[in-house]
Amino acid sequence: MRNVRPYVTGAIALAVAAIIFVMPFVFVALQAVKSKSEASRLDFELPEHWLFWDNLVAVFKARDYQLALAYFNSTLITVVSVTILILLSAMVGYVMQRRKTVWNRVASIALFMGLMMPPAVVPTIGLLQDIGLFKTMTGMILIQVAYNLSFSILLYRSFISTIPRDLDEAALIDGAKPRQIFFRVVLPLLKPVTVTNVVVQSIAIFNDFTNPLYYLPGKENVTVQLTLYNFQSMYTSQYNLLFMNILLVTIPPLIVFIFFNRQIVAGMTAGGVKG
Amino acid sequence: MTETRRRSRKSPYPLWFFIPAAIIYGVLFLFPTISSLWFSLTRWDLSTAEFIGLENFQQFFSEPFLVKGLVNTLIYAVTTSGLKTVCGLMLAVLLTSNIFARGFLRTLVFFPVLVSTIGIGITFTVMMHPTKGIINVTLKTLGIPGPGWLTNPALALFSVALVDVWKGVGLATLIFIAGLAAISPDYYEAARIDGATRLQQFSRITLPLVRPATVIVVTLSLIGGLRSFDLIWAMTRGGPGFSSDVIASVIYKQYQAGFYGLSTAGNVILFALIAAIILPFTLWFNRREVGE
Amino acid sequence: MAELTLKQVRKSFGALEVIKGVDLEVASGEFVVFVGPSGCGKSTLLRIIAGLEDTTSGALTIGGKDVTYAEPSERGIAMVFQSYALYPHMTVAENIGFGLSLARRPKAEIAAKVAATAETLQLTQLLERKPKALSGGQRQRVAIGRAIIRDPKVFLFDEPLSNLDASLRAQMRLEISDLHARLKSTMIYVTHDQVEAMTMADKIVVLNGGVVEQIGSPMELYRNPATPFVAGFIGSPKMNLYGGETARRLNCTTYGIRPEHIRLSEGAGQWQGRIRHLERLGADAILYLEVPELGEMVVRAEGETPFAPGMTVWANPVEGAEHRF
Repeated sequence: MRNVRPYVTGAIALAVAAIIFVMPFVFVALQAVKSKSEASRLDFELPEHWLFWDNLVAVFKARDYQLALAYFNSTLITVVSVTILILLSAMVGYVMQRRKTVWNRVASIALFMGLMMPPAVVPTIGLLQDIGLFKTMTGMILIQVAYNLSFSILLYRSFISTIPRDLDEAALIDGAKPRQIFFRVVLPLLKPVTVTNVVVQSIAIFNDFTNPLYYLPGKENVTVQLTLYNFQSMYTSQYNLLFMNILLVTIPPLIVFIFFNRQIVAGMTAGGVKG
Repeated sequence: MTETRRRSRKSPYPLWFFIPAAIIYGVLFLFPTISSLWFSLTRWDLSTAEFIGLENFQQFFSEPFLVKGLVNTLIYAVTTSGLKTVCGLMLAVLLTSNIFARGFLRTLVFFPVLVSTIGIGITFTVMMHPTKGIINVTLKTLGIPGPGWLTNPALALFSVALVDVWKGVGLATLIFIAGLAAISPDYYEAARIDGATRLQQFSRITLPLVRPATVIVVTLSLIGGLRSFDLIWAMTRGGPGFSSDVIASVIYKQYQAGFYGLSTAGNVILFALIAAIILPFTLWFNRREVGE
Repeated sequence: MAELTLKQVRKSFGALEVIKGVDLEVASGEFVVFVGPSGCGKSTLLRIIAGLEDTTSGALTIGGKDVTYAEPSERGIAMVFQSYALYPHMTVAENIGFGLSLARRPKAEIAAKVAATAETLQLTQLLERKPKALSGGQRQRVAIGRAIIRDPKVFLFDEPLSNLDASLRAQMRLEISDLHARLKSTMIYVTHDQVEAMTMADKIVVLNGGVVEQIGSPMELYRNPATPFVAGFIGSPKMNLYGGETARRLNCTTYGIRPEHIRLSEGAGQWQGRIRHLERLGADAILYLEVPELGEMVVRAEGETPFAPGMTVWANPVEGAEHRF
């Protein structure tokens, strides 16, 4: 009796979890491969014909390949902003952890504000307009960097404390200039936390809806999330295409999750633990 | 005294490393956010600003649809935070016990956290359709009349909150799992020897010792709940009417309507709300830690 | 190789002065050991020589050149850290060659020099390994290799043997001494272990609380300690030191006599005491005596000593071996 218990509880848990957590995704996947009329029934019946590719192509073609453009934009924003973010936050976290300076206090307070305070959107729009970066990809990228710096820097700062200072000093004696100590000794040793950071930030930025909504309106610079949102009003009757769109938007994080499961978990827990 | 004749030796940790990040952060985040305090006291259209004192705030606290947004925000934050905390802990306890397919279940529970909020919002909106939605259809076959999840003004906010919890509980679970793992099994063994039941073990050992994780989960989910926008916008756009508006959606709507001062006042109120709730909470928690 | 001088070097961390005016001259090719208890400032002094800490005041010259304000890499020094500080993400070859690669030397030159250095330390087989795949002794040799390749004027060692187990320590002591004999370089070595100090040094600098208590060769320090501190620090078992009444009666502030310089007899002697405890170590025996007017007295005797605990004996100091401070 004792040995059966884990299996019974597990089986029940699995069944309940399957219904609650898996069912919505199954629903999405099913509607995405149905024909328009079948999908409008919004049920769990299997499709007569699997229209995966047809729907996929149709969604991509919609509105002059808007989704393709959106994918390109989202990817560009994600890749560039994450790259800048990693570099800048590692640099700051490094000096904050290693050097005793009054600026550390200032930086800590500033970072804490970033974690708590919601960004004031309208003044930011005004500012971006003045600099000429409103509705531009560059502006969006810089905004993503700015809004994610706090978390990233804190992550690096706590991890760098595990790299012994001895290494800095040995490099100094070997003749390394400060920037060489950072790029050739410290940064390579930050790889684990960098991977986690890249994964977590990439998913967050790729999934971001609010910021592109405010700072990147307009057809030329659509992102994937905005496109999906717009599709809702466009495809009131074409549920199959709508869900195919959802599916396409869900895929990248799924792939990342499959490959980087461990790093994501570590990153989220670290971020959570650090608050 | 000796400073004059010495060339100050540079630290190997250059301060200029702060500069690029400081510029981006300062210009694009700190500056606008701090200047919002000023702009919330104006009526402005991005080019001219007319000082009107606390009028914007008065409006916020008098106009019914704005007040509703305020109240909704609190309800939403507390509801989602509470549910995420309780369910997250329960799930964590389940997923750290010796059940079959534990790892797989953890992955399952966590996956919604990573998925597009808009995608989730649209999916659940469709599923929650009062007549065609799969949820009500299923309930109908079971003989239960399904409510208007998103069409009933009294229910709309809660429906969105439920979806929010569905999406976010995985992260809470993850954090709780880490917190539970930090509790030494020795405590449970000692308690068992002392004759404690499983319930007693949970209330006397687990709950107190998992408190650091609890604080994090509550804090993060409260802040997230107060700032929540994506899901509500995707599912109800603050409707029906404005029954599910929250401060974040109010900010957007006022922005769209061109009332920039009012919109910015919303930002300030949101910040004040977050500070008013989070700061006392962390202080209370820290004091309790020390007191023990 | 080069000589090194410290002139009135002082170091304070905030209000706390840790080095209180040190003067030192090290001749070219000398092996000098800084020794003292924890917190005496020996590591700080080494780091000042290395350039990892600034002086608060005072001057430092290496090879005749004033390097008080010079960058560590410009001083002509190389350092072996207590933790070895090997770059974990680089191979042994890359670790040793790092300095040259920073200086942008051509790859062929770096490879050749690294190979040569590895050869002298028997590291050739290990060149492609990473530090975590090496034993403690091997890591130490890599750390030494990284120092040698710089062809420094002065070698600095910061307690390099502390992380090794006892048997390895003895072996590495010999290796470092051999290294010194081979390279004939100036070496400054910091340790808290007086055995290392005695066996390896040409000259020992005894530090206590930021002040130099004495500088001299090992045997000089043994024969003629300048202060009670030095007397008690050098030599094992520790010298018996007595102050107060006893010392005054013997015309000094502190009276000292080494355990090995006391002869016991059953008949008569200067002090009478009861043997409280006896440790037989094989070649030697250590006796702990209770002497009424002095307190405890430690005596080293022959291994086969006939005395036993409980016995009452007489103790006599050897001629000329008494120390009066």
